[in-house]
Amino acid sequence: MLVEIIDVIISGMINGSVYALMAVGLTLIYGVSKAFNFAYGSFYSMGGYVAFMIFGAHINNYILVFCLAAPILFLLGYLIEKALVAPLRKRDDWEIKVMMITLGLALFLDNSYQVIFGARMKSLPTILEGSIELGDFILSYQDIIIFIFSIGGILAFRWFLNNTRTGMSVRAVAQNPAGAQIVGIPKEFVFSATFAISTVMVGMGGILLAQKYFVTPMGGWDILVKSWVITAFGGMGSIKGSLYAAFIVGMLEAFVGWHFGMNWTLIALFAVLLTTLAIRPQGLMGKWG
Amino acid sequence: MLEVKNATKKFGELTAVNDLSFEVSQGQVFGIAGPNGAGKSTLYNLITGLYPFEGSILFNKKEIRGFAPHAIAKMGISRTFQIPQTFPSLTVEKSIGVGNHFGSQEGYDPSYVDNILEFVSLEDKRDELTGQLNLLDKKMLMIGAALATKPQILMLDEPMAGSNAKEILALMDLIKRINKDMGITIIIIEHFMKVLTELTQKLLIIETGTEICCGDPVEVTNDPRVIECYLGDVNDKN
Repeated sequence: MLVEIIDVIISGMINGSVYALMAVGLTLIYGVSKAFNFAYGSFYSMGGYVAFMIFGAHINNYILVFCLAAPILFLLGYLIEKALVAPLRKRDDWEIKVMMITLGLALFLDNSYQVIFGARMKSLPTILEGSIELGDFILSYQDIIIFIFSIGGILAFRWFLNNTRTGMSVRAVAQNPAGAQIVGIPKEFVFSATFAISTVMVGMGGILLAQKYFVTPMGGWDILVKSWVITAFGGMGSIKGSLYAAFIVGMLEAFVGWHFGMNWTLIALFAVLLTTLAIRPQGLMGKWG
Repeated sequence: MLEVKNATKKFGELTAVNDLSFEVSQGQVFGIAGPNGAGKSTLYNLITGLYPFEGSILFNKKEIRGFAPHAIAKMGISRTFQIPQTFPSLTVEKSIGVGNHFGSQEGYDPSYVDNILEFVSLEDKRDELTGQLNLLDKKMLMIGAALATKPQILMLDEPMAGSNAKEILALMDLIKRINKDMGITIIIIEHFMKVLTELTQKLLIIETGTEICCGDPVEVTNDPRVIECYLGDVNDKN
Protein backbone atom coordinates (compact mmCIF):
# COMPACT_ATOMS: atom_id res chain seq x y z
CA MET A 1 0.00 0.00 0.00
CA LEU A 2 2.72 2.47 1.04
CA VAL A 3 4.75 1.61 -2.04
CA GLU A 4 1.72 2.26 -4.22
CA ILE A 5 1.05 5.62 -2.58
CA ILE A 6 4.64 6.71 -3.05
CA ASP A 7 4.46 5.58 -6.68
CA VAL A 8 1.34 7.69 -7.11
CA ILE A 9 3.03 10.71 -5.51
CA ILE A 10 6.04 10.33 -7.82
CA SER A 11 3.76 10.01 -10.84
CA GLY A 12 1.84 13.12 -9.72
CA MET A 13 5.08 15.07 -9.28
CA ILE A 14 6.35 14.11 -12.73
CA ASN A 15 3.09 14.95 -14.51
CA GLY A 16 2.77 18.09 -12.39
CA SER A 17 6.19 19.29 -13.49
CA VAL A 18 5.31 18.96 -17.19
CA TYR A 19 1.91 20.57 -16.62
CA ALA A 20 3.69 23.41 -14.84
CA LEU A 21 5.95 23.97 -17.85
CA MET A 22 2.96 24.06 -20.18
CA ALA A 23 0.57 26.04 -17.95
CA VAL A 24 3.20 28.72 -17.30
CA GLY A 25 3.33 29.29 -21.06
CA LEU A 26 -0.45 29.76 -21.25
CA THR A 27 -0.37 32.00 -18.18
CA LEU A 28 2.37 34.05 -19.80
CA ILE A 29 0.28 34.78 -22.89
CA TYR A 30 -2.76 35.65 -20.83
CA GLY A 31 -0.72 37.75 -18.41
CA VAL A 32 0.82 39.82 -21.19
CA SER A 33 -1.99 40.12 -23.73
CA LYS A 34 -5.11 39.30 -21.63
CA ALA A 35 -6.17 37.08 -24.53
CA PHE A 36 -6.76 33.33 -24.38
CA ASN A 37 -5.01 31.12 -26.92
CA PHE A 38 -7.28 28.25 -27.94
CA ALA A 39 -4.61 26.79 -30.23
CA TYR A 40 -2.36 26.13 -27.25
CA GLY A 41 -3.15 22.38 -27.25
CA SER A 42 -2.39 22.18 -30.96
CA PHE A 43 1.05 23.67 -30.28
CA TYR A 44 1.55 20.81 -27.81
CA SER A 45 0.91 18.35 -30.66
CA MET A 46 3.11 20.50 -32.92
CA GLY A 47 6.02 19.88 -30.54
CA GLY A 48 5.48 16.13 -30.77
CA TYR A 49 5.23 16.15 -34.58
CA VAL A 50 8.28 18.41 -34.98
CA ALA A 51 10.27 15.97 -32.83
CA PHE A 52 8.80 13.06 -34.83
CA MET A 53 10.10 14.63 -38.04
CA ILE A 54 13.53 15.31 -36.54
CA PHE A 55 13.79 11.68 -35.43
CA GLY A 56 12.63 10.75 -38.94
CA ALA A 57 15.72 12.56 -40.26
CA HIS A 58 17.81 10.04 -38.26
CA ILE A 59 18.76 12.47 -35.52
CA ASN A 60 18.39 10.26 -32.48
CA ASN A 61 20.02 12.36 -29.78
CA TYR A 62 17.38 14.01 -27.57
CA ILE A 63 19.62 16.98 -26.76
CA LEU A 64 19.96 17.66 -30.48
CA VAL A 65 16.22 17.15 -30.94
CA PHE A 66 15.48 19.77 -28.26
CA CYS A 67 18.08 22.15 -29.69
CA LEU A 68 16.54 21.89 -33.16
CA ALA A 69 12.89 21.81 -32.05
CA ALA A 70 13.12 24.91 -29.81
CA PRO A 71 14.04 27.42 -32.57
CA ILE A 72 11.63 25.76 -35.03
CA LEU A 73 8.77 26.09 -32.52
CA PHE A 74 9.80 29.66 -31.66
CA LEU A 75 9.80 30.63 -35.34
CA LEU A 76 6.44 28.94 -36.01
CA GLY A 77 4.89 30.63 -32.96
CA TYR A 78 6.33 34.01 -33.94
CA LEU A 79 5.12 33.76 -37.55
CA ILE A 80 1.65 32.57 -36.53
CA GLU A 81 1.34 35.48 -34.11
CA LYS A 82 2.49 38.02 -36.69
CA ALA A 83 0.24 36.61 -39.43
CA LEU A 84 -2.96 35.93 -37.49
CA VAL A 85 -2.99 37.63 -34.08
CA ALA A 86 -1.07 40.88 -34.54
CA PRO A 87 -3.40 42.30 -37.25
CA LEU A 88 -6.38 41.78 -34.91
CA ARG A 89 -4.84 43.92 -32.18
CA LYS A 90 -5.55 47.06 -34.20
CA ARG A 91 -9.31 46.39 -33.92
CA ASP A 92 -11.82 46.92 -31.15
CA ASP A 93 -12.47 43.98 -28.79
CA TRP A 94 -9.44 42.24 -30.19
CA GLU A 95 -9.16 39.84 -27.23
CA ILE A 96 -12.45 38.14 -28.23
CA LYS A 97 -11.35 38.06 -31.88
CA VAL A 98 -8.06 36.41 -30.84
CA MET A 99 -9.99 33.68 -29.04
CA MET A 100 -12.07 33.05 -32.16
CA ILE A 101 -9.14 32.98 -34.55
CA THR A 102 -7.03 30.71 -32.31
CA LEU A 103 -9.99 28.33 -32.08
CA GLY A 104 -10.07 28.27 -35.87
CA LEU A 105 -6.31 27.82 -35.95
CA ALA A 106 -6.55 24.84 -33.58
CA LEU A 107 -9.04 23.09 -35.87
CA PHE A 108 -6.93 23.92 -38.92
CA LEU A 109 -3.73 22.60 -37.32
CA ASP A 110 -5.30 19.42 -35.94
CA ASN A 111 -6.85 18.55 -39.29
CA SER A 112 -3.57 19.34 -41.03
CA TYR A 113 -1.74 16.94 -38.67
CA GLN A 114 -4.29 14.29 -39.57
CA VAL A 115 -3.78 14.78 -43.31
CA ILE A 116 0.03 15.03 -43.12
CA PHE A 117 0.83 12.43 -40.45
CA GLY A 118 -2.30 10.25 -40.51
CA ALA A 119 -4.83 9.56 -37.78
CA ARG A 120 -2.77 6.84 -36.10
CA MET A 121 -0.75 7.75 -33.06
CA LYS A 122 2.98 8.34 -33.41
CA SER A 123 5.52 7.39 -30.80
CA LEU A 124 8.87 8.87 -29.92
CA PRO A 125 11.78 6.78 -28.64
CA THR A 126 12.30 6.62 -24.90
CA ILE A 127 14.78 9.26 -23.83
CA LEU A 128 16.77 6.76 -21.76
CA GLU A 129 15.99 3.09 -21.13
CA GLY A 130 16.33 1.53 -17.70
CA SER A 131 15.42 2.36 -14.15
CA ILE A 132 16.70 2.83 -10.63
CA GLU A 133 15.60 0.47 -7.90
CA LEU A 134 15.44 1.94 -4.41
CA GLY A 135 14.27 -0.89 -2.20
CA ASP A 136 10.68 -1.54 -3.26
CA PHE A 137 10.55 1.54 -5.48
CA ILE A 138 11.35 1.49 -9.16
CA LEU A 139 11.89 4.80 -10.88
CA SER A 140 12.46 4.88 -14.62
CA TYR A 141 15.23 7.06 -16.05
CA GLN A 142 12.62 8.40 -18.47
CA ASP A 143 10.52 9.82 -15.62
CA ILE A 144 13.56 11.28 -13.87
CA ILE A 145 14.67 13.02 -17.06
CA ILE A 146 11.17 14.32 -17.81
CA PHE A 147 11.07 15.81 -14.31
CA ILE A 148 14.54 17.35 -14.57
CA PHE A 149 13.86 18.82 -18.04
CA SER A 150 10.54 20.31 -16.94
CA ILE A 151 11.90 21.86 -13.77
CA GLY A 152 14.99 23.03 -15.70
CA GLY A 153 12.71 24.63 -18.30
CA ILE A 154 10.74 26.48 -15.62
CA LEU A 155 13.91 27.67 -13.87
CA ALA A 156 15.38 28.82 -17.20
CA PHE A 157 12.17 30.70 -17.90
CA ARG A 158 12.28 32.33 -14.45
CA TRP A 159 15.90 33.34 -15.02
CA PHE A 160 14.97 34.78 -18.42
CA LEU A 161 12.16 36.88 -16.90
CA ASN A 162 14.32 38.25 -14.09
CA ASN A 163 17.70 38.67 -15.73
CA THR A 164 17.32 39.53 -19.38
CA ARG A 165 16.32 42.70 -21.18
CA THR A 166 13.51 40.93 -23.06
CA GLY A 167 12.34 39.30 -19.82
CA MET A 168 12.18 42.72 -18.17
CA SER A 169 10.13 44.06 -21.07
CA VAL A 170 7.74 41.08 -20.80
CA ARG A 171 7.18 41.78 -17.10
CA ALA A 172 6.68 45.47 -17.75
CA VAL A 173 4.12 44.93 -20.53
CA ALA A 174 2.29 42.32 -18.42
CA GLN A 175 1.95 44.82 -15.58
CA ASN A 176 1.27 48.00 -17.49
CA PRO A 177 1.14 47.96 -21.32
CA ALA A 178 0.59 51.72 -21.69
CA GLY A 179 3.34 52.63 -19.22
CA ALA A 180 5.71 50.16 -20.88
CA GLN A 181 5.29 51.69 -24.33
CA ILE A 182 5.88 55.18 -23.04
CA VAL A 183 9.26 54.24 -21.60
CA GLY A 184 10.35 52.84 -24.95
CA ILE A 185 9.32 49.16 -24.80
CA PRO A 186 8.14 47.81 -28.17
CA LYS A 187 4.83 46.29 -27.06
CA GLU A 188 4.11 44.56 -30.37
CA PHE A 189 7.45 42.74 -30.28
CA VAL A 190 6.82 41.69 -26.69
CA PHE A 191 3.41 40.25 -27.65
CA SER A 192 4.93 38.29 -30.53
CA ALA A 193 7.93 37.09 -28.50
CA THR A 194 5.67 35.99 -25.64
CA PHE A 195 3.49 34.00 -28.03
CA ALA A 196 6.59 32.36 -29.51
CA ILE A 197 8.10 31.55 -26.10
CA SER A 198 4.87 29.97 -24.92
CA THR A 199 4.78 27.89 -28.13
CA VAL A 200 8.26 26.60 -27.27
CA MET A 201 7.22 25.79 -23.70
CA VAL A 202 4.12 23.80 -24.59
CA GLY A 203 5.90 22.20 -27.56
CA MET A 204 8.70 21.03 -25.28
CA GLY A 205 6.04 19.60 -22.97
CA GLY A 206 4.65 17.79 -26.00
CA ILE A 207 8.04 16.25 -26.79
CA LEU A 208 8.57 15.19 -23.16
CA LEU A 209 5.14 13.58 -22.78
CA ALA A 210 5.04 12.06 -26.28
CA GLN A 211 7.41 9.36 -25.05
CA LYS A 212 4.75 8.25 -22.56
CA TYR A 213 1.43 9.18 -24.14
CA PHE A 214 2.16 9.28 -27.90
CA VAL A 215 1.32 12.01 -30.41
CA THR A 216 -2.12 12.19 -32.03
CA PRO A 217 -3.77 14.88 -34.18
CA MET A 218 -6.43 15.66 -31.56
CA GLY A 219 -4.26 14.95 -28.49
CA GLY A 220 -3.79 18.63 -27.73
CA TRP A 221 -7.36 19.26 -26.58
CA ASP A 222 -6.85 17.35 -23.35
CA ILE A 223 -3.73 19.45 -22.70
CA LEU A 224 -5.58 22.68 -23.53
CA VAL A 225 -8.28 21.79 -21.01
CA LYS A 226 -5.75 20.85 -18.33
CA SER A 227 -3.65 23.96 -18.96
CA TRP A 228 -6.77 26.11 -18.75
CA VAL A 229 -7.87 24.39 -15.51
CA ILE A 230 -4.40 25.01 -14.03
CA THR A 231 -4.30 28.63 -15.24
CA ALA A 232 -7.76 29.45 -13.86
CA PHE A 233 -7.16 27.46 -10.66
CA GLY A 234 -3.84 29.22 -10.01
CA GLY A 235 -5.23 32.68 -10.87
CA MET A 236 -5.33 33.92 -14.48
CA GLY A 237 -2.04 35.67 -15.20
CA SER A 238 -0.25 34.49 -12.05
CA ILE A 239 2.85 32.45 -12.87
CA LYS A 240 3.41 31.46 -9.24
CA GLY A 241 -0.24 30.40 -8.99
CA SER A 242 0.13 28.24 -12.11
CA LEU A 243 3.13 26.46 -10.64
CA TYR A 244 1.27 25.55 -7.44
CA ALA A 245 -1.86 24.61 -9.36
CA ALA A 246 0.08 22.41 -11.81
CA PHE A 247 1.50 20.24 -9.03
CA ILE A 248 -1.87 20.07 -7.23
CA VAL A 249 -3.52 18.99 -10.50
CA GLY A 250 -0.75 16.45 -11.23
CA MET A 251 -1.14 14.99 -7.74
CA LEU A 252 -4.94 14.99 -7.83
CA GLU A 253 -4.94 13.30 -11.22
CA ALA A 254 -2.55 10.61 -10.00
CA PHE A 255 -4.54 9.88 -6.83
CA VAL A 256 -7.97 9.91 -8.51
CA GLY A 257 -6.65 7.77 -11.37
CA TRP A 258 -5.17 5.26 -8.94
CA HIS A 259 -8.16 5.11 -6.61
CA PHE A 260 -11.18 5.58 -8.92
CA GLY A 261 -9.79 5.02 -12.42
CA MET A 262 -8.53 7.41 -15.11
CA ASN A 263 -12.06 8.18 -16.37
CA TRP A 264 -12.68 10.13 -13.18
CA THR A 265 -9.64 12.40 -13.36
CA LEU A 266 -11.13 15.20 -15.50
CA ILE A 267 -14.36 15.14 -13.49
CA ALA A 268 -12.32 15.51 -10.29
CA LEU A 269 -10.28 18.35 -11.79
CA PHE A 270 -13.38 20.29 -12.79
CA ALA A 271 -15.01 19.64 -9.41
CA VAL A 272 -11.95 21.10 -7.65
CA LEU A 273 -11.79 24.02 -10.09
CA LEU A 274 -15.48 24.87 -9.71
CA THR A 275 -15.32 24.62 -5.92
CA THR A 276 -12.20 26.82 -5.80
CA LEU A 277 -13.65 29.43 -8.14
CA ALA A 278 -16.96 29.47 -6.25
CA ILE A 279 -15.12 30.27 -3.03
CA ARG A 280 -12.27 32.29 -4.50
CA PRO A 281 -13.11 33.54 -8.03
CA GLN A 282 -9.67 35.03 -8.55
CA GLY A 283 -7.98 31.62 -8.14
CA LEU A 284 -5.25 30.54 -5.72
CA MET A 285 -2.87 33.47 -6.17
CA GLY A 286 -5.47 36.15 -6.63
CA LYS A 287 -5.10 37.47 -10.16
CA TRP A 288 -7.99 37.80 -12.53
CA GLY A 289 -8.39 39.99 -15.61
CA MET B 1 11.14 72.01 -31.37
CA LEU B 2 7.62 70.52 -31.55
CA GLU B 3 5.16 71.68 -34.20
CA VAL B 4 1.60 70.42 -34.20
CA LYS B 5 -0.05 71.26 -37.52
CA ASN B 6 -3.79 70.88 -38.14
CA ALA B 7 -4.07 67.82 -35.90
CA THR B 8 -7.54 66.28 -35.98
CA LYS B 9 -8.78 63.18 -34.21
CA LYS B 10 -12.29 61.80 -34.53
CA PHE B 11 -13.91 58.96 -32.59
CA GLY B 12 -16.90 58.17 -34.79
CA GLU B 13 -19.10 61.27 -34.77
CA LEU B 14 -17.12 62.92 -31.97
CA THR B 15 -14.27 65.23 -32.89
CA ALA B 16 -11.93 65.06 -29.90
CA VAL B 17 -9.17 67.22 -31.43
CA ASN B 18 -10.21 69.69 -34.11
CA ASP B 19 -7.65 71.17 -36.52
CA LEU B 20 -5.29 72.11 -33.71
CA SER B 21 -1.97 73.84 -34.43
CA PHE B 22 0.69 75.15 -32.05
CA GLU B 23 4.44 75.27 -31.54
CA VAL B 24 6.62 74.52 -28.53
CA SER B 25 10.12 76.02 -28.41
CA GLN B 26 13.21 74.40 -26.93
CA GLY B 27 13.57 75.00 -23.19
CA GLN B 28 10.01 76.28 -22.85
CA VAL B 29 7.41 75.25 -20.28
CA PHE B 30 4.24 75.07 -22.36
CA GLY B 31 0.87 74.77 -20.63
CA ILE B 32 -2.36 73.26 -21.92
CA ALA B 33 -5.67 73.78 -20.14
CA GLY B 34 -9.35 73.38 -20.82
CA PRO B 35 -12.48 71.95 -19.28
CA ASN B 36 -12.89 68.19 -18.73
CA GLY B 37 -13.37 66.43 -22.06
CA ALA B 38 -11.66 69.25 -23.98
CA GLY B 39 -9.32 66.78 -25.69
CA LYS B 40 -6.13 67.53 -23.73
CA SER B 41 -5.17 63.92 -22.97
CA THR B 42 -6.23 62.86 -26.47
CA LEU B 43 -3.79 65.45 -27.81
CA TYR B 44 -1.03 63.83 -25.71
CA ASN B 45 -2.01 60.45 -27.13
CA LEU B 46 -1.59 61.84 -30.66
CA ILE B 47 1.84 63.28 -29.94
CA THR B 48 3.07 60.08 -28.26
CA GLY B 49 1.80 57.80 -31.03
CA LEU B 50 -0.96 56.06 -29.10
CA TYR B 51 -3.70 57.17 -31.54
CA PRO B 52 -3.61 57.61 -35.33
CA PHE B 53 -4.78 61.05 -36.49
CA GLU B 54 -5.03 63.48 -39.39
CA GLY B 55 -2.55 66.34 -39.69
CA SER B 56 1.11 66.52 -38.88
CA ILE B 57 3.43 66.64 -35.87
CA LEU B 58 7.07 67.60 -36.37
CA PHE B 59 9.68 66.97 -33.69
CA ASN B 60 13.00 68.69 -34.42
CA LYS B 61 11.69 69.21 -37.98
CA LYS B 62 11.02 65.46 -38.40
CA GLU B 63 7.53 64.06 -38.98
CA ILE B 64 6.61 61.69 -36.14
CA ARG B 65 3.07 60.83 -37.22
CA GLY B 66 2.78 57.09 -37.76
CA PHE B 67 5.65 56.14 -35.46
CA ALA B 68 4.95 53.63 -32.65
CA PRO B 69 4.88 54.95 -29.04
CA HIS B 70 8.15 53.20 -28.13
CA ALA B 71 9.89 54.74 -31.15
CA ILE B 72 8.67 58.23 -30.22
CA ALA B 73 9.91 57.66 -26.66
CA LYS B 74 13.32 56.72 -28.09
CA MET B 75 13.36 59.89 -30.20
CA GLY B 76 13.15 61.94 -27.02
CA ILE B 77 9.49 62.56 -26.18
CA SER B 78 8.43 61.14 -22.84
CA ARG B 79 5.21 61.53 -20.89
CA THR B 80 3.35 60.78 -17.70
CA PHE B 81 -0.31 59.92 -17.19
CA GLN B 82 -3.01 61.49 -15.05
CA ILE B 83 -3.27 58.26 -13.05
CA PRO B 84 0.26 57.07 -12.15
CA GLN B 85 1.26 54.17 -14.40
CA THR B 86 3.76 52.03 -12.53
CA PHE B 87 4.95 48.43 -12.62
CA PRO B 88 3.52 47.17 -9.29
CA SER B 89 5.78 44.14 -8.77
CA LEU B 90 9.02 45.91 -9.76
CA THR B 91 11.07 47.87 -7.26
CA VAL B 92 11.46 51.63 -7.56
CA GLU B 93 15.02 51.23 -8.84
CA LYS B 94 14.02 48.60 -11.44
CA SER B 95 11.08 50.69 -12.62
CA ILE B 96 13.35 53.63 -13.31
CA GLY B 97 15.87 51.18 -14.76
CA VAL B 98 13.24 49.97 -17.26
CA GLY B 99 12.93 53.52 -18.59
CA ASN B 100 16.70 53.83 -18.90
CA HIS B 101 17.09 50.36 -20.46
CA PHE B 102 14.51 50.83 -23.18
CA GLY B 103 13.94 54.54 -23.64
CA SER B 104 17.48 55.91 -23.59
CA GLN B 105 19.37 55.82 -26.87
CA GLU B 106 22.65 55.35 -24.99
CA GLY B 107 21.35 52.22 -23.22
CA TYR B 108 21.42 51.29 -19.56
CA ASP B 109 23.58 53.36 -17.23
CA PRO B 110 23.29 52.47 -13.49
CA SER B 111 24.87 55.74 -12.37
CA TYR B 112 22.28 57.73 -14.35
CA VAL B 113 19.52 55.69 -12.66
CA ASP B 114 21.08 56.60 -9.27
CA ASN B 115 21.06 60.28 -10.25
CA ILE B 116 17.40 60.11 -11.23
CA LEU B 117 16.50 58.36 -7.97
CA GLU B 118 18.16 61.22 -6.09
CA PHE B 119 16.62 63.87 -8.36
CA VAL B 120 13.06 62.66 -7.69
CA SER B 121 13.82 62.09 -3.97
CA LEU B 122 13.27 58.33 -4.07
CA GLU B 123 16.79 57.11 -3.25
CA ASP B 124 15.64 55.90 0.20
CA LYS B 125 12.83 53.87 -1.37
CA ARG B 126 14.81 52.29 -4.18
CA ASP B 127 14.14 48.73 -2.96
CA GLU B 128 10.43 49.19 -2.27
CA LEU B 129 7.85 47.69 -4.61
CA THR B 130 6.16 50.42 -6.59
CA GLY B 131 2.70 49.05 -5.81
CA GLN B 132 3.28 49.94 -2.15
CA LEU B 133 4.19 53.61 -2.69
CA ASN B 134 1.91 56.51 -1.73
CA LEU B 135 0.40 58.73 -4.45
CA LEU B 136 3.07 61.43 -4.37
CA ASP B 137 5.88 58.87 -4.57
CA LYS B 138 4.10 57.11 -7.43
CA LYS B 139 3.96 60.44 -9.28
CA MET B 140 7.63 61.08 -8.56
CA LEU B 141 8.43 57.57 -9.77
CA MET B 142 6.47 58.02 -12.99
CA ILE B 143 8.32 61.28 -13.66
CA GLY B 144 11.60 59.53 -12.75
CA ALA B 145 10.93 56.67 -15.18
CA ALA B 146 10.13 59.23 -17.89
CA LEU B 147 13.35 61.15 -17.13
CA ALA B 148 15.33 57.90 -17.25
CA THR B 149 14.59 57.75 -20.98
CA LYS B 150 16.68 60.95 -21.31
CA PRO B 151 13.91 62.91 -23.04
CA GLN B 152 14.18 66.25 -24.80
CA ILE B 153 10.50 66.91 -24.11
CA LEU B 154 8.64 65.77 -21.00
CA MET B 155 4.85 65.85 -21.23
CA LEU B 156 3.05 65.91 -17.88
CA ASP B 157 -0.66 65.08 -17.72
CA GLU B 158 -2.28 66.77 -14.70
CA PRO B 159 0.61 66.07 -12.33
CA MET B 160 -1.09 67.96 -9.47
CA ALA B 161 -4.36 65.98 -9.58
CA GLY B 162 -5.27 64.62 -6.15
CA SER B 163 -2.34 66.35 -4.42
CA ASN B 164 -2.48 68.53 -1.31
CA ALA B 165 -0.88 72.01 -1.10
CA LYS B 166 2.46 70.68 0.21
CA GLU B 167 2.65 68.03 -2.49
CA ILE B 168 1.80 70.59 -5.17
CA LEU B 169 4.74 72.73 -4.01
CA ALA B 170 7.05 69.68 -4.11
CA LEU B 171 5.90 68.79 -7.64
CA MET B 172 6.22 72.40 -8.85
CA ASP B 173 9.75 72.53 -7.48
CA LEU B 174 10.59 69.28 -9.27
CA ILE B 175 9.15 70.53 -12.58
CA LYS B 176 11.16 73.76 -12.32
CA ARG B 177 14.37 71.78 -11.65
CA ILE B 178 13.69 69.44 -14.57
CA ASN B 179 13.33 72.44 -16.85
CA LYS B 180 16.20 74.55 -15.49
CA ASP B 181 18.75 72.02 -14.23
CA MET B 182 18.23 69.31 -16.85
CA GLY B 183 17.30 71.66 -19.70
CA ILE B 184 14.27 69.60 -20.64
CA THR B 185 11.38 71.23 -22.49
CA ILE B 186 8.10 70.68 -20.66
CA ILE B 187 4.50 70.47 -21.80
CA ILE B 188 2.04 70.38 -18.94
CA ILE B 189 -1.71 69.80 -18.82
CA GLU B 190 -3.12 71.23 -15.62
CA HIS B 191 -6.36 72.53 -14.11
CA PHE B 192 -4.71 74.69 -11.42
CA MET B 193 -4.37 78.12 -13.01
CA LYS B 194 -1.91 79.31 -10.37
CA VAL B 195 0.38 76.43 -11.26
CA LEU B 196 0.13 77.23 -14.96
CA THR B 197 0.69 80.97 -14.58
CA GLU B 198 3.69 80.37 -12.31
CA LEU B 199 5.34 77.58 -14.30
CA THR B 200 4.59 78.21 -17.95
CA GLN B 201 5.84 80.71 -20.52
CA LYS B 202 3.06 79.97 -23.00
CA LEU B 203 -0.45 78.67 -22.42
CA LEU B 204 -2.90 77.03 -24.83
CA ILE B 205 -6.58 76.83 -23.92
CA ILE B 206 -8.76 74.34 -25.75
CA GLU B 207 -12.40 73.43 -25.62
CA THR B 208 -14.03 70.48 -27.43
CA GLY B 209 -10.72 69.95 -29.17
CA THR B 210 -10.58 73.46 -30.62
CA GLU B 211 -8.14 76.25 -29.73
CA ILE B 212 -9.71 79.09 -27.76
CA CYS B 213 -6.52 81.11 -27.42
CA CYS B 214 -2.77 80.67 -27.02
CA GLY B 215 -0.09 83.01 -25.65
CA ASP B 216 1.25 84.61 -22.49
CA PRO B 217 -0.33 82.79 -19.49
CA VAL B 218 -1.43 85.94 -17.66
CA GLU B 219 -2.97 87.43 -20.80
CA VAL B 220 -4.64 84.14 -21.67
CA THR B 221 -6.22 83.72 -18.25
CA ASN B 222 -7.63 87.26 -18.54
CA ASP B 223 -9.03 86.68 -22.01
CA PRO B 224 -12.86 87.01 -21.88
CA ARG B 225 -13.29 83.95 -24.13
CA VAL B 226 -11.30 81.83 -21.69
CA ILE B 227 -13.15 83.21 -18.70
CA GLU B 228 -16.44 82.45 -20.38
CA CYS B 229 -15.69 78.95 -21.59
CA TYR B 230 -13.32 77.62 -18.99
CA LEU B 231 -13.10 79.73 -15.86
CA GLY B 232 -16.79 80.49 -15.63
CA ASP B 233 -16.52 83.69 -13.66
CA VAL B 234 -13.72 86.23 -13.28
CA ASN B 235 -13.77 85.86 -9.52
CA ASP B 236 -13.25 82.06 -9.75
CA LYS B 237 -10.09 82.19 -11.78
CA ASN B 238 -7.79 81.70 -8.83
